[in-house]
Amino acid sequence: MPNRDTRAGPTADAGTRLSVLIIDDEAKIRAAVRDALLSDDVEMIDAESGATGLARAASRRPDLVLVDLGLPDMEGLDVVRALRRWSTAPIIVLTARHAEDEKVALLDAGADDYVTKPFSLAELRARVRAQLRRARMPRVPGGDAPVRVGGGDLEIDLARRAVTRRPTGEVIHLTPTEWSLLEVLVRHADRPVTHRQLYHAVWGNTFGDTAHYLRVYVAHLRRKLERDPYQPLFILTEPGVGYRLTLDAGTVERDGA
Amino acid sequence: MVPNALGRPRLRAWVIAALALAVSTAGMVAVRSSLDKAHVALVFLLVVLGGSAFGGRVVGLVLAIGAFLLFDYLFLPPYGTVIVTNPLDWLVLVAFLLTSVVATQLLSRAQERAEVARRHAAEVERLAALGAEALNAARADEALRAIAEVIQSALALGCCEIYLRRGSAEDSSSPERVALERVAHAGDGCAEAAPEDDVSLAAWVGAHGLPAMVRVDGLTHVAPAQAVAQSVPASGAFWLVGGGVRTLLLPLRVRERTVGVLRAAGAPAIALRADQRQFLDALAYYAALGVERLRLTDEAAHAEALREADRLKNALLAAVSHDLRTPLTTIKALAGAIEEEGAHAGDARATSIEEEADRLGRMVGDLLDLSRLMGGALVLTPEVNAAEDLIGAVRQRVAGVLRGREIRVRDGSHAGAPPPLLLGRFDFVHALRALGNLVENALKYGAPGTPVDLDVARDGPMLVFSVADRGPGVPEAEQERIFEPFYRPPGVPADIGGSGLGLTIARGLAEAQGGDVRYESRPGGGSIFSLRLPAVDLVADNREEGSAR
Repeated sequence: MPNRDTRAGPTADAGTRLSVLIIDDEAKIRAAVRDALLSDDVEMIDAESGATGLARAASRRPDLVLVDLGLPDMEGLDVVRALRRWSTAPIIVLTARHAEDEKVALLDAGADDYVTKPFSLAELRARVRAQLRRARMPRVPGGDAPVRVGGGDLEIDLARRAVTRRPTGEVIHLTPTEWSLLEVLVRHADRPVTHRQLYHAVWGNTFGDTAHYLRVYVAHLRRKLERDPYQPLFILTEPGVGYRLTLDAGTVERDGA
Repeated sequence: MVPNALGRPRLRAWVIAALALAVSTAGMVAVRSSLDKAHVALVFLLVVLGGSAFGGRVVGLVLAIGAFLLFDYLFLPPYGTVIVTNPLDWLVLVAFLLTSVVATQLLSRAQERAEVARRHAAEVERLAALGAEALNAARADEALRAIAEVIQSALALGCCEIYLRRGSAEDSSSPERVALERVAHAGDGCAEAAPEDDVSLAAWVGAHGLPAMVRVDGLTHVAPAQAVAQSVPASGAFWLVGGGVRTLLLPLRVRERTVGVLRAAGAPAIALRADQRQFLDALAYYAALGVERLRLTDEAAHAEALREADRLKNALLAAVSHDLRTPLTTIKALAGAIEEEGAHAGDARATSIEEEADRLGRMVGDLLDLSRLMGGALVLTPEVNAAEDLIGAVRQRVAGVLRGREIRVRDGSHAGAPPPLLLGRFDFVHALRALGNLVENALKYGAPGTPVDLDVARDGPMLVFSVADRGPGVPEAEQERIFEPFYRPPGVPADIGGSGLGLTIARGLAEAQGGDVRYESRPGGGSIFSLRLPAVDLVADNREEGSAR
């Protein structure tokens, strides 16, 4: 693989430690998250308010930012927008249930993912890893190397516009619309993409009467790619938000190591 | 000074008139020889007109006759007798009398007209002031009391009461369902309770919006039917029913609605002149406006109280949802950290802490959902969604509580064939919660090792998701009760369930978007819960897809 040496998981590059900034006003949550993420490769930066968080982000240039939505001094959305003006570091938002509209707004504003409170540390760590891995990819996923999904079952090669089932090598034919939908999902792999973002990227025009096309094309795509549309393995539904394509972390890491 | 209306001139007017006549007569007698009859007639005419203007019609007429006699006696030869020798002098005398009388009459009539106009203006002004008071008084009840006092004193009533009609607008025309509440009263007669006839008749007036009266002899009269058509509060034939009226009951109407009743009770009887009737009608309208204002103020206060309660409830919900979640997040994170550190003895306990934190979190969520459902604060965003999306999301959601159990999905298609694309219009997040609750329920109560069958099918206008388990089932008598909040099947330990709200919430969320949740016993044992949601047909299918397959 051409990107073998740069794209390992966060455990690879021994020379530089990755830094994660957590902005949360609850000291205990900061401490628990710090303990969970801190390792030989990851250092943690704390901030107890939106303003301090933005200042630390500017001075320390973290590789990833965790933002709590219940900050006393700023709206989470404003923190995300402010960060996005100059930073491309992945942003994961710690949000509450019943806040789908808020999640959509955050993703549209540039957040990369969200974790719903109360979250488990394992879940948070998985999301953080996925985002760090994404951020360290030299190009967008599938740009110059095929990506594997569905437990290594499928190989998607955006450059050649081909989806092949492994190990048989059977080529799966997709219509142009299905292709563009899959392409958007792969380019945003491992992060939720909102309905609006997907619709806009595939159909271009505004989100209107034909918004249900998206549901229909996702269904078509799943019928062609997933083994069981009722139990999708990689084209996952983000309830009330959109869809998420998950890459096989295992395969990619194994390939990179 | 103006004579007091049509009444008698005061003594002073008489004295001054007499003096003016005496002085002018004495003055003219002194120079009688050099006076012409025309001079005398003119001077007397002036005195008569002055007296008339000053003292009114009666003074004017008396002066005219007095002047006539003095003219004859003192200024027409032979002097000192009433005899008039010259026939032409008779003519002068009669012309003087006629002129004086006619002039007096004309003058006083003009004065009376001016007086009536002035009184009307004053009346209008008083009514306008009252109206302004009824609409602007700081408190509607004060304005109503002022109106009641004015009516009572102006019409010399024993008691004047204003009632507010309670209850919803015009829905009930039966007097039994009309509740009247006294909001203002004036007069000594109000100290005693109103007679029973008056009370029942007042309810009738409130219900039908027509005037009524009670006579002194106890007979009651209600307005004739044509008054209904005219919807005139009180007028015409009704008023002619005759004297001896003990109580008048007038409906207070605003914009075709009866908002209250005015009760006017005589002391002991009421006798109204035409202008007093008009006055009463006008004031009754102001009373109606005042009552309406009182009602609106009450309503506004009530709505304000409701809004305040609502605001408080929402603030409480937000506080609970945020403030409870924060410590839960901390507990869960710390328990997770202990667990991961692998402190040998701490493991199981840390896992329990984490599980219980999750359970508590779910209960808090359930309570919040229920209060949103009950409070009508549920925000729905119905969109076209695919059934398979919902099922996939449900499986993702319950993946953590499967404990080796299997969820078998069936859609009626044959093995190997692509599944049918079933679409519905529903709020995805709420539908996920409803179906998720049903599946969790089936996992909870189904016998260990048995699969949960999730069937999806189109049934007419509905999309039906049936969740079937092999559990103990529900006895027929309990089948509706299971949807009640906090229901728990008998004999089930408390820690197996969650909050006891899952089914209530599932049904509430489904009903909120035009669907429902039903229960049926499963043949061969177990339960089937069906979530029904509105289905949609694919309107515009894609063109490229047909050829691509």
